[in-house]
Amino acid sequence: MDFISNKETQNKEMLQAIGVKTVEELFFAVPKELRLASPKADDGLSEYEGIKLMEALAAKNTFPQFDHYLGAGAYDHHVPAIVGAVCSKSEFLTSYTPYQPETSQGMLQIIFEFQSAICALTGMDISNASLYDGSSACAEAMLMALRCHKERNKVVIAESLHPHYRTVVEQYLISHQTQIEVIPFLKDGRLDMDRMKQLVDDKTAAVLIPYPNFFGVIEDVKKVSEYAKKVEALTVVCANPLVYGLYESAAEIGADIAVGDGQPFGLPLQYGGPYVGYIACKQELVRQLPGRIVGETVDTENRRGFVLTLQAREQHIRREKATSNICTNQALAALACLTAMLWYGKEGVKKLALTNYQRAAYLKKRLQVIPGVKIQESAVYFNEFVVEFSQPIDQVLAYFRKHHIEPGVDLSRYFHEMDHHLLVAVTETKSKKQLDHYVLIAGELG
Amino acid sequence: MTKTIFEKSQVDQHAYSLPKDAPEFTEIHPPEKLLRHSTLNLPEISEIDLTRHFSELARRNAGIDNIFYPLGSCTMKLNPRVNELCAAFPGFTRTHPLAPEDSVQGNLQIIEELIEILCKVSGMTAGSLTANAGAQAEFVGIRMIAAYHAKHGDVKRTEILIPDNAHGTNPATAAMAVYKIVSIRTNAHGDMDLDHLRESVSERTAGLMLTNPNTLGLFSPVILEIAKIVHEHGGLLYYDGANLNPMLNVVRPGDMEFDVMHINLHKTFSTPHGGGGPGSGPVLCNDKLKAFLPVPRVEKRGGKYQILWKDAESIGNISSFHGNFAIYLRAYLYAKLHGHFGMRRIAEQAVLNANYLKVKIGKLLTVPFPQPCMHEFVVQADKYLDKGVSALDIAKRLLDYGVHAPTIYFPLIVKECLLIEPTESESKATLDRFVEIMTIIVGEIESNPELVKSAPHTMAVSRLDEVGAAKKPILKHV
Repeated sequence: MDFISNKETQNKEMLQAIGVKTVEELFFAVPKELRLASPKADDGLSEYEGIKLMEALAAKNTFPQFDHYLGAGAYDHHVPAIVGAVCSKSEFLTSYTPYQPETSQGMLQIIFEFQSAICALTGMDISNASLYDGSSACAEAMLMALRCHKERNKVVIAESLHPHYRTVVEQYLISHQTQIEVIPFLKDGRLDMDRMKQLVDDKTAAVLIPYPNFFGVIEDVKKVSEYAKKVEALTVVCANPLVYGLYESAAEIGADIAVGDGQPFGLPLQYGGPYVGYIACKQELVRQLPGRIVGETVDTENRRGFVLTLQAREQHIRREKATSNICTNQALAALACLTAMLWYGKEGVKKLALTNYQRAAYLKKRLQVIPGVKIQESAVYFNEFVVEFSQPIDQVLAYFRKHHIEPGVDLSRYFHEMDHHLLVAVTETKSKKQLDHYVLIAGELG
Repeated sequence: MTKTIFEKSQVDQHAYSLPKDAPEFTEIHPPEKLLRHSTLNLPEISEIDLTRHFSELARRNAGIDNIFYPLGSCTMKLNPRVNELCAAFPGFTRTHPLAPEDSVQGNLQIIEELIEILCKVSGMTAGSLTANAGAQAEFVGIRMIAAYHAKHGDVKRTEILIPDNAHGTNPATAAMAVYKIVSIRTNAHGDMDLDHLRESVSERTAGLMLTNPNTLGLFSPVILEIAKIVHEHGGLLYYDGANLNPMLNVVRPGDMEFDVMHINLHKTFSTPHGGGGPGSGPVLCNDKLKAFLPVPRVEKRGGKYQILWKDAESIGNISSFHGNFAIYLRAYLYAKLHGHFGMRRIAEQAVLNANYLKVKIGKLLTVPFPQPCMHEFVVQADKYLDKGVSALDIAKRLLDYGVHAPTIYFPLIVKECLLIEPTESESKATLDRFVEIMTIIVGEIESNPELVKSAPHTMAVSRLDEVGAAKKPILKHV
């Protein structure tokens, strides 16, 4: 099938108006030797057949049948029903970047509200309209810091940053030949503060700290930012935004730039994307922010309106002098994220964060007392933590899977010495019954 | 006066509900000293008010479903709802990106098969779906070119050639990868100036970034000569697939001797533009560059799909996980519905619709390049400048007639230009109505230019003070 309106009748009239006999003639500029022959047989599907095909593919995914505890940058939260209803409104779904503000006030105001909500959560002054995902947000923040500190070409990154994020940061920095130093983590998953002090110096443009880190640990970011300030390095905090409903905001812990992935608010797991990167910063850094920014203004009759602004930073104006090459960003995903943040609202975000913390803490507490199971106790967590089993991880996974549980992320894939370790995430979607069942199975392994 | 959701906040109201807590949960308390002290300044709002807020904002916005949207170089074609329906299947939405591979065989099959389809239409041999949009895919391609030269010890290649009519993302991308940009002129026929290319290419050339058809909607008949010149000097060719729509199963970038390219799925493959994303930018390449493609990759072995998370020569990761999966699965379905037969029809109809519109509009506005176009074309509004009416004014007046404005003032090299792309979706009646509206506007320019200069008159707002917005930025609710 196709979605073409014009049929033979209209096409004939149009060809006549153009003054050619066939469409083929319009491709005159394409060298003959390059032109493909027209496919003879219709190999397309009907809409019904297409749906059946997709149903069959979806059914091949057995993962949704598991009770899973996977996190590591992608969290299984409830997506409020209103999110789908709002995002499927055709005025949003089928519009594009608001180049013509008079006919795009809805989307522009949405972006303005997204910026406002991100600032409310993080406590920062300015947010942009969105970046692709958490990893590219980290990378853009590093490039931004290097622009702010033109004379410095070194960044310091916590080893406990999501390993995928770190490789993306390296990807963006490699051509700049930036010196990247890595702060190791201690046995309990926390940042090695002594090494941090050795590595962050007056050649450092920025230090990037995850909050919570890859192991679910809440780092003492304040200590880092205080130290960074002394050498005028910028502090970049990469956070699950839900954490700000419970623990100190990015502003309170001394961040100059706050980044992360908005997925926990309103975006289903959907195999890793689309998610939505956010980036927010202090007022004085605004001219170095990458991507779209929406600002408030008035029209000729003094009515309030919204426009894309500070565009002198962007690729369509500045070309090679732009702060980033980003053009299409994640607008509809940002709308999903905004809608979920608003649905939870001022109190709901706090309660959601608290119950995430409590449910994770409950499972942790129950697992801790099982002989043979080890959990580090010196660190503070949010909704994710590391569990060490006495058995090799393959055995642990196989046993849980037999009971239709996917018990966590196998950490040996990232840190080969962690071959008895799982990274376990718990959200508001886990009931006491499910958590108790997990404990039961872990106990049988014990 | 429109209010933001923050201004609609009412004390103690809310929309959320949460699963009941067990007493065993609530007796656990987080450490006091790390708790947030500052207020969390989000609105308090009920579900009905939240719902109405977004309904109100929807009324102040317009998409393809509402109006004709001939935005050049953006390929605003129909977004079939069957894509949306299938992307929302729980079998897809509930899969975690780190799920064991044997539990996500359906996802992996989609990835592998979509790459195969895209290779077939592009004439390339391998690909990756991990880049989240066209611009990020460009960055991947340029990084792959850099990796290729590095592997061959070719370290002096520090320049990327880019035509002066290129999309802004091209030079911005090359700059992100720390290349020097060498701009190549366009000649009087709207094609690349070959002499200037010959002068500019050298042993310093890492590659050329090019879209064909270019941003004037013109296919370069000397494309093989361009490729030869760059290749002879050891450079590689990057194809910006933003304008791939008229090329589907007609001519392939691989056959035009390009080495690496991207496709914007929200353009050619109908995934929703979403008010500015999410996009998805598959990167495709030939055997020369295959080894450098990003990870993770999907491979089929012994009837099962596997994920390759690391690979020695790969440039590494570009996104958090597997890219915008829920976007490219829509593109997969779109490709399956059309088949290669239907994709050829897309290209032909896009070109036919554009040429028809060009012939009709050409009677009203200046046509700088008279030859047949591909999927889009440029016209100039320069003959009305003496009346004080510019391309911008015409764009704004179009809004009053229920049409989205074309792309204006791009490409930058054509004065007072409008870049018009009707796409294959549109009916002749819609195109005729557009011509009729343009005729009316031209009449208005003659009789009452002020009316056009002060347009739009029927939108939620009239022209906005952009200078003021940039001078005193208000970027959030305070």
